[in-house]
Amino acid sequence: MDEKSVLIVGGGIEGVRAALEQATSGARVTLVEKYPTLGAERIPRDRLIQPGEAFVNPDLAAVRNHDRIDILTCSDIQRVRKDNGTVAAHILKRSLRVDNTKCTDCKACIKVCPVNMFDDFDEGFTFRTAVDYFNPATGEYNIFKEDMPVCQRTCPVNLDIRTYVGQIADGKYLESLATIRDRLPLPGSIGRVCPHPCETACNRQYLDEPISICFLKRFVADVELNEGIEPVYETPDEKFPEKIAIIGAGPAGLTCAYHLARKGYEHITIHEALPVPGGYLWVGIPEYRLPKKLLKREVDLIANMGIDIRYNSRVGRDVTFEDLRKDHDAIFIGAGCHRGLKLRVPGEDEYEGKGIVDCVTFLRDQALGKPFDVKGKLIVIGGGNAAIDSARVGWRMGFDEVYILYRRTKKEMPANPWEIDAAEHEGVILQYLAAPVEIMGKDGRVVGMKCIKMELGEPDASGRRRPVPIKGSEYVIDAETIVPAISQGTNLDFLGEDHGLDINRWNTFDIDEDTGATNVPGLFAGGDVVTGPDIAIRAVAAGKKAAEGIHSYLRSK
Amino acid sequence: MCTGRIDPAIVAEAFSKGLDGLLVVGCYFGDCHYITGNHQAKAKLDMTRRLFKHIGMNEDRLAFRQCSSGEGAVFVDIVTEFDANLRRIGPLGADGDRVKGAELHKKLEAARAVLASEKIRWVIGKRTPFLESGNMYGEIFTEHEFNRAIDMIIVEEMEVQEILASLRQGARSIKELANELTIPSERVFRYITALKRKGMVALDRIAGQSPIFQIIPQEV
Repeated sequence: MDEKSVLIVGGGIEGVRAALEQATSGARVTLVEKYPTLGAERIPRDRLIQPGEAFVNPDLAAVRNHDRIDILTCSDIQRVRKDNGTVAAHILKRSLRVDNTKCTDCKACIKVCPVNMFDDFDEGFTFRTAVDYFNPATGEYNIFKEDMPVCQRTCPVNLDIRTYVGQIADGKYLESLATIRDRLPLPGSIGRVCPHPCETACNRQYLDEPISICFLKRFVADVELNEGIEPVYETPDEKFPEKIAIIGAGPAGLTCAYHLARKGYEHITIHEALPVPGGYLWVGIPEYRLPKKLLKREVDLIANMGIDIRYNSRVGRDVTFEDLRKDHDAIFIGAGCHRGLKLRVPGEDEYEGKGIVDCVTFLRDQALGKPFDVKGKLIVIGGGNAAIDSARVGWRMGFDEVYILYRRTKKEMPANPWEIDAAEHEGVILQYLAAPVEIMGKDGRVVGMKCIKMELGEPDASGRRRPVPIKGSEYVIDAETIVPAISQGTNLDFLGEDHGLDINRWNTFDIDEDTGATNVPGLFAGGDVVTGPDIAIRAVAAGKKAAEGIHSYLRSK
Repeated sequence: MCTGRIDPAIVAEAFSKGLDGLLVVGCYFGDCHYITGNHQAKAKLDMTRRLFKHIGMNEDRLAFRQCSSGEGAVFVDIVTEFDANLRRIGPLGADGDRVKGAELHKKLEAARAVLASEKIRWVIGKRTPFLESGNMYGEIFTEHEFNRAIDMIIVEEMEVQEILASLRQGARSIKELANELTIPSERVFRYITALKRKGMVALDRIAGQSPIFQIIPQEV
């Protein structure tokens, strides 16, 4: 780029001065301002100062008339991206919502405007109406419409929460469900398992408690179920011929397939390594949190859109990744994180499978109904939801005693507090401030574990206090089964060699955040395989984003 | 005459003249000769009932019922039921209402002004399009949201009309208005600035340190 271009955010007095300075020195300037008019221009007509005496920034006219300055009002910076020495910014420009060519400045709209809101121009000192003029000189009117509500903004898929909760309040349950399904094809499943970041953000909590956004979703899904209504997910008549392969039938893959089918793609194949759909929703989340029958029904609804789900088809074993690439126009990788991370303590490898089972295998075998030698004590190591799930599942399997060992305290546990309480309530024993040191075995079986007590030191990078071992505090607990549930990682062996994809040091993909595209054209990825172990709704969001990315990639090819 | 033509302002005026109850009987939904007359009647009267409840009057004094002209027995039932209800509630401003006597009368005067003013009439008129076809941008609102907006307007418009009624008696300062109407002074201040911006109130003079505001007569 020959010409220097400058982006100035904020059209206040300083912003206007800086814009003028840069433009005079020869740069191309874009001035972005959140309000409909540049700063200090909004002179209320009711003020005590007479218009003639009011201070008007002399730079304003110069900025307006400068041919090297583009002014973007009503605009916000959405995202800034660094790119080879330049910076690209996504700017959202809002509509004024008033056709000012037809406005006669009669102020009738201000008189009848039903929305009185605190005026942000004077820090909420007075009221303004949603429709208002900002600058008496230009006489431009606009209607202020707030951006997404805080719950919708927090939700990874930006579900239209206000509408669907409102529709439930009106008693229109099926309309509400349709609103949810517009963005989320698995309302019943997500409505049961989501840790609902939306409720954590809900404004209602400052009055009493947050709206039960998550369970309301479950409620409308159950209404449909109980009334025996079998919905049909519509696909458009106009079809596209491209073939798309999706690896993994988890929340990301299913959502991606759903949105692609809704766009009109009819050759979508999902390759699922397991004999069951849903990925972690099936093999990670226990039956008591999400009934399999319900999940199966929601998957079937998606499959009935004409999507071919091939079970027991592990990429890399039953079909090679190269073949998939040859046969398809685009591939979405939503393989998830199905490899439990190791504790890295002595004895772990020796007794692998002889009393040591990582939580992924443990939960998967239970979900698939494989027999397990249930006896004695079970120790689960870790403090996340996978640890709590493993412990509660173990309790249901019939272990005599179930322990959870966590190296910090309850306050720092990443698991949802209600899950921790439920586990405690059921009789799971939680031991805090303890970490494994060595797995002890006898005759080829685990018999116990040596642990060390910890204390909390200084806060670390995550803001939680770092556990520090207390010297000489080792002790031994007897146990027949030990389940490490410390974290999960990806298993990208199925890619084979020469795949050309960039894999980062966390063994995940680096993707374009807007489209889900990897560095190889036609290959997209999303879900846990990109983010590491994360919540289901974020995988759904990634699947949706990738579906849009694939659509625009295929249509622009 | 169609129930859709009943103006809520007239209803409020009738009550402020001492009416104890009003029963509106319209056609069944779907039977309307003008297609949506009875829907409009119900929307307007529901809103009026919300306002009556807000000012402390028993909202059951106003009822909307439906029956066809051929259903004599149903009509008798409706009237009997309403009559029994009204006898239980008793005369206006007595035991049946939260706010009593002269105060309720004053509130009803303000309520009449609210119902006669442009704001609430525009909003209630937009109810059907907002709930069914959406605005210019296709944004459809839920009934829940709409009712919440109506409730907000009722609270604010009542206070604004009380302020305007007081200013009609003569120019006043914000403190005087707040004391007279028992509305917190910061709210009065916000209403006054908003009214100034709308061109309905202006500064009269400054007495000591307090600005005194006067009303600007509006052309109708």
